[in-house]
Amino acid sequence: MAVNNRLRVLRAERSWSQAELAERLGVSRQTVNAVETGKYDPSLPLAFKIARLFEQQIEDVFHFDGVPDARKETP
Amino acid sequence: MTPGTVSNSKPERSSWSAFIVVPVIFVGAYFAARAGIKRVEPGSLAALGLALLPVPPFAWLIWCFVRGIRSMDELERRIQLEALALAFPIALLVTFTAGLLDLAGFHGEGNWDLPRLCPLLLLPYWIGLALARRRYS
Repeated sequence: MAVNNRLRVLRAERSWSQAELAERLGVSRQTVNAVETGKYDPSLPLAFKIARLFEQQIEDVFHFDGVPDARKETP
Repeated sequence: MTPGTVSNSKPERSSWSAFIVVPVIFVGAYFAARAGIKRVEPGSLAALGLALLPVPPFAWLIWCFVRGIRSMDELERRIQLEALALAFPIALLVTFTAGLLDLAGFHGEGNWDLPRLCPLLLLPYWIGLALARRRYS
């Protein structure tokens, strides 16, 4: 099970470089790259910060494989 | 907070010069202490002062390291943690083994003192750092 994310897509939509996104988030470019490639799962505060930056809900940016989305199953 | 402008204080970059200057001061104090101890009476107050001479520079070095860690972002901290998680037990193992070898009569030239042990203590940290950086790059 892993956490997948749409960070690369969201970043590309805004034509931001990894360095630019890193600057906006206050982290290193290596951190942005590691999150994008799924090698590193960000902390909850950083995940919220990312979601807020892209004006998204956190669950619209990050997806946890293996756990069904409760919202979609609710009739 | 305006979306798209998440503010965060940029991680304060620690002064890397401290990681050059302070170790040099520590090494200087260490070798000054070694040279001085040979010239004073063993067990004297002067010998005690000389033996403790490298402690303040090393404490300064630790403070610089901790300050450097605090200025890192969360991934860099994770990398440091993984490197130290490898290095610390190995450093303990090296220290214990050196002590046992000394007891067993394998003193070697100069005994198991810092210049001899230092590379063995630092090498696992550097290896751990390289492995962790590769894992997340």
